[in-house]
Amino acid sequence: MKAVRNERFMKVTTYLLLIAWAVFVVFPLYWMLTTSFKSKLDVFLGPKYIPWVDFKPIVQWWIRIFTVEREEVIRPLVNSIIVASISSLLAVLLGTMAAYGLTRFKFKFGPLRNHDILVWIVSQRMMPPIVIVLALFLMFKVVNLLDTRLGMTLIYTAFNLPIAVWMMRNFLSQIPISIEEAAMVDGASRSQIFFRVVLPLTLPSLAATFLLCFIFAWNEFLFALILTFDKASTMPILIASQHFQRGPQWWDISVMSTVAIAPVVIIALSLQRYFVKGLIPISK
Amino acid sequence: MPMTNILSSFRGKKAGRAFILPAVIILLLLTIFPFLFSLFLSFGKVSFLGGLQIHFAGLKNWLRLFNDERFYNALSNTVLIAVIAVAIEYVLGLGLVLLLNRGVKGSTFFRVLFFLPMMLTPIAVGYMWRMMFNPTRGPINHVLPLLGLPAVGWLTEPKIVLYSIILTDIWQWTPFMILILFAGLQSIPPALLEAAKVDGASGWRLFKEIIFPLLIPASIAAILLRTIEVLKIVDKIYILTGGGPGIYSESMTLFGYNLGLRAFDLAYGATIAFSLFATILVVSIIFLLMTRRSQEISLE
Repeated sequence: MKAVRNERFMKVTTYLLLIAWAVFVVFPLYWMLTTSFKSKLDVFLGPKYIPWVDFKPIVQWWIRIFTVEREEVIRPLVNSIIVASISSLLAVLLGTMAAYGLTRFKFKFGPLRNHDILVWIVSQRMMPPIVIVLALFLMFKVVNLLDTRLGMTLIYTAFNLPIAVWMMRNFLSQIPISIEEAAMVDGASRSQIFFRVVLPLTLPSLAATFLLCFIFAWNEFLFALILTFDKASTMPILIASQHFQRGPQWWDISVMSTVAIAPVVIIALSLQRYFVKGLIPISK
Repeated sequence: MPMTNILSSFRGKKAGRAFILPAVIILLLLTIFPFLFSLFLSFGKVSFLGGLQIHFAGLKNWLRLFNDERFYNALSNTVLIAVIAVAIEYVLGLGLVLLLNRGVKGSTFFRVLFFLPMMLTPIAVGYMWRMMFNPTRGPINHVLPLLGLPAVGWLTEPKIVLYSIILTDIWQWTPFMILILFAGLQSIPPALLEAAKVDGASGWRLFKEIIFPLLIPASIAAILLRTIEVLKIVDKIYILTGGGPGIYSESMTLFGYNLGLRAFDLAYGATIAFSLFATILVVSIIFLLMTRRSQEISLE
């Protein structure tokens, strides 16, 4: 009897703690989303919590961002989409090739073997961006890549390569090699095997890696802050500049932030299974 | 032996190199070269009069750094944020993972929700919390007096501002600890836990003697990766306080940006950046040495 009661007590406590953390996670998001539907007065006389109860939600700011402020918002949004997509595609393609090379061939560059090359590539991700970005500023200035989508695409490709190599190596090393041998016996060339046999087999992993790279590129701030001024600015730069340009117009900032967050939330929700799977090797 | 077989038949060196070369070239050009260039800059002086010129300046930048109070301020802010944030994130992450593992209904729902914050654009997260912390219109300072507590100048009090930043970091990055520790917990063979339960181990003893020791590798990975990341912190601070009040919340990266680009002294900025790189390297090495020893002890 006592044990049963104890068990029930444990269960209730577990739920309460989980719900408490869930509230902590959700509340700031809720606050931002509701602020995007508040009138100026409701923001300044705030805090107002529940729509239709203590404030009347309006869609004015959402309409405005796609009409009056369209010019200002559309370019960073398009830049973000283009730069993040293309750089992630490149990172996944080049990263998968490198991962394939590292799992299927033996390398020897001086004292460096496969494992050393892998560690070298992955450890690039540890480097603080500020170290390379100041030098990149000068390099990009010399070759006229400052404030261009091409420059941002290149730097995000390099920024995401270590992750792509790491993830794809884990996935590729799980593919039985006999499939490739069979193709080889049939006379397929190495590039045919890679593009026609290996890539189709890893399609879900490729998609997961692409989306993870996309999130990183989409969210990145420091490179964009230093290497773009206007033409190639991305969404984080647009949002960050809001406060300095017009003071805290919380309703506008909330709308823009929600727009910036929405695609990442969708990706994250659809991907969560893969992250756990792909990360299990790290934790061993 | 199919493995050696295919490796030898794949040993055609050119083909192998063709696969890794593009990635290596990109990294050499866009990471290694700028890295070395930056190191070189820290011993130089950049001028734009009559085109870009870089003069050798010896140890000038480094001597200036070691006599710069703002450097020690940024360094201690950064390390303080890292130590406190990572410690709290780890404890919370571990606790939440154990709760999620109790087989409650809806644990998948909770897990998905708990992972979410780390995916969100840090700039947006910064604004989100700036609204939360707002002294007069933010919900936190609205609720505190109702609970009989004083309102707090979250982003304006020099002694408090770092903790506000830490809270924001905890909100966004505890999910990372949950993710890695959850993956670590998944890789513990269930048979092992069953056997321990049959032997009468439960609750605290099960955790202390079975689960925690098996989670040590995952814990080390999670703590190290998170420490490295948080030492680079900049975007949320940029939005929350801009390093203020004054420079009370300036981090190393923000300091490097302010001096390197705002004040446009690229050489000094590179010196600051390199000192951050050295800090991260030293912290990682010390941490790995320390944990290696503790791992050996736990194996004994």
